Amino acid sequence: MKTVIVRPERCVGCLQCRLACAVEHSQSKDLVAALGEAWRPVARIAVYPGGRHLSFPNKCRHCDPAPCEAVCIAGAIRRNPARGTTDIDPARCINCGMCAMACPFGVLTFAPTPQAPERRAVALKCDHCPDRQAQGRPPACVEACKVGALTYGEPAHALAEKARWLARTFFAAPPPPEPVPETIRLWRHLG
Amino acid sequence: MRYVIIGTSAAGLAGAETLRRLAPQARITLISDESHLPYSRPLLMYLLGRETTREKLFLRSPDYFREWGFETLLGTPVTRVDPGAREVHLADGRALPYDRLLIASGAKPRLPPIPGLELSGVFTLRHLADVERLERHLAQARRVAVVGAGAVGLKAADALAHRGLAVDLLARGAQPLSKVLDQVSARLLMEAIARLGISLHLNSWPTAVVGNGGRVTALALNDGRELPTDAVLFSVGVAPRVEFLASTTLAAPEGIPVDEHLQTGDPDIFAAGDCVLPRHLLTGAPAAFHIWPAAVAQGEVAGANLAGAARRYDGILPMNSISLRGCRIITGGHLTPDTPEGEIFEELDATTGRFKRLVFDQGRLVGATLVGEVRHAGIYFRLIANRTPVKDLPVDPRSPHFHPGRLWARPLPGAA
Repeated sequence: MKTVIVRPERCVGCLQCRLACAVEHSQSKDLVAALGEAWRPVARIAVYPGGRHLSFPNKCRHCDPAPCEAVCIAGAIRRNPARGTTDIDPARCINCGMCAMACPFGVLTFAPTPQAPERRAVALKCDHCPDRQAQGRPPACVEACKVGALTYGEPAHALAEKARWLARTFFAAPPPPEPVPETIRLWRHLG
Repeated sequence: MRYVIIGTSAAGLAGAETLRRLAPQARITLISDESHLPYSRPLLMYLLGRETTREKLFLRSPDYFREWGFETLLGTPVTRVDPGAREVHLADGRALPYDRLLIASGAKPRLPPIPGLELSGVFTLRHLADVERLERHLAQARRVAVVGAGAVGLKAADALAHRGLAVDLLARGAQPLSKVLDQVSARLLMEAIARLGISLHLNSWPTAVVGNGGRVTALALNDGRELPTDAVLFSVGVAPRVEFLASTTLAAPEGIPVDEHLQTGDPDIFAAGDCVLPRHLLTGAPAAFHIWPAAVAQGEVAGANLAGAARRYDGILPMNSISLRGCRIITGGHLTPDTPEGEIFEELDATTGRFKRLVFDQGRLVGATLVGEVRHAGIYFRLIANRTPVKDLPVDPRSPHFHPGRLWARPLPGAA
C-alpha cells in the first residue's frame, strides 16, 4: 500500500507542503478562493526546525493498529483497509481530544471544517488526499515538495533502501547517504 | 471451547473481538443487562448536550453480533457466577456453562448516603436509559444541580449549560478535579467554567435532597444553604459492579483483583474494564481509574488471554482529556513526584492561557498536564509509559524546543 514517505534529511523547511495541504482541504481547492472561505483551511502536516539546518515534516503515520482508533470514544476513527489509511469521520468526531492524548507522534490539530459545519472544531490530520487519489494523483504535499523530502511510494521499498545502506556499514565505514543535491546544499549556505 | 463474556461495553467488546481473531471457530456468548446495541458511554454527555445524535452513540452496525458470530443474551442480568460448576446464572433462571469466562461488568454510579434520593428529579448518568429519563424531566426544568466536579460532572454541567439551563456545579474540594489537577490548571479551568455561565460552588456538598410533592425542589448544603433546583445529577464516582460475585472469593469492594495477565483468582476467569482493580503502570500499586481507553486496552489483553495468549497488561496510567467549550486540558501520570528528589516544571503563557506542567522523578518524566495547546500530549505520555530517562532524550522536555523536529530529525552519520 502506497504511503507518504518522509526523508527529513532532504527537507529545507520551505512549508510549501503545508500550503498545498491547506488548499487541498479547502472547499474550492484553490489558493486564492480558499482565502475567502468561511472555514479557514488548515494544514494537516507540520514542519518543525530540527537543528543543524534540518527540518522535520511531521504528519500522521497511519499506524495499524492505531492508538488513536483504540481510544476514540465516538467511533470516529476507523481503519480503511482499502486505502491503507486511518481516517477520522468529521461527522462523528466530538472534539474530545482523546486522540491527541494517545497519538505518540503529536499530529492532531483541532479546527472547524466544512465537512462538519455544525461543530466548533473537530480533530484533523492527514487523510492521504482521497479526492486526489480518486483521480490517480499523489497527495498534495508530495506534489508540492520540490526537494524529494516527501514522496509517495511503497514503504517496503524505502525500508529496503535504508536497510541496504545500513547493511553496508557492517563491512565498511558508513558511506555517505544518497547525496544531497547541490541546490539544497547551496540553499543551506544562504541560511 | 465455550467462552462467555459478561458485559458488552468497551472491555467486553474489545475482549470478544480479540478472542474472535485468535479463535475463529470458538463459541462466544456475550451477556448484557442492557438490550441496546453496544454504545459509547462517554458519548452520553455529548448526547445530553445535543452535540451528537442518538444513532451516532452506537459504535457497531445493527448486524454486528451476527457478522462476528457472537451469540448474545441481551437484557438478561447475571445473578451469580459459580466457578466450581463453571456456570453463569441468569436472572431468568437459566444457567450458562462456560470453559473460560471474561467478566467485564463495568461500574455503577455511586450515590452519597443522604436523604431524599428517592425523589423524582434525582439522576445519575451511566446508561442510555438514564439520558432518556433525564430528558423527560428536563422538559419542565430550568435549574439543574450537578453534584461532583470530576471529568463526568464537568462535561455534564457543560452539556446542560449548552442547552440553556441554569447549572450549579458542586465541588467537594477547593477546586474541580482536585485529585488530578494542579492549582494553575484548576484556575484556568475555573475561568472557563465561569465563561460558560456555570455557577461553581467550591467546598460544597449536599446533606439532603429536599422535595415537595415527591419532586426535587432544592439541595441542602453542608454550609447550611439551601440551593433551589429542579433536578439533581450526581456524578460522585463509580463503584465496580461485582454483586453477582458475592458468593465467590473473586471480588473485593474496590474491584476484582487481577494479576498481570488480568486473570482473577480462578485460572479460567479473566476480568477487564471498570470492574477490575488494575495495577498502576509506574508504581505497581493497585489503582482504580475508570476511563474508556483503559477498558479497551484491558479488554484486548484479556480477550487474547482467554484464547491462551498469555499477554501481559503493563498497568494503568491514569490520564484524561477534559474538553469543555473553550477549554481543553489533557493531564495524566503523577500530580506530584513520589520521592523528595522529584521536580515540578511549570510554564504559563498568561496571554494565551496555555500552560505546561511536567513532573519529574528519579530522572524520568512521571506526569504531564497541558492546557490550551495539547497536540503533543501523546508524546509526553509515551515517554512516561516507556520510562525513558530524560538524559537519553535529544532534547529536554522542559525546553521550548521539545517538539517532533528536535526529537526525531537527526542527521544521518556523514550527512552534510
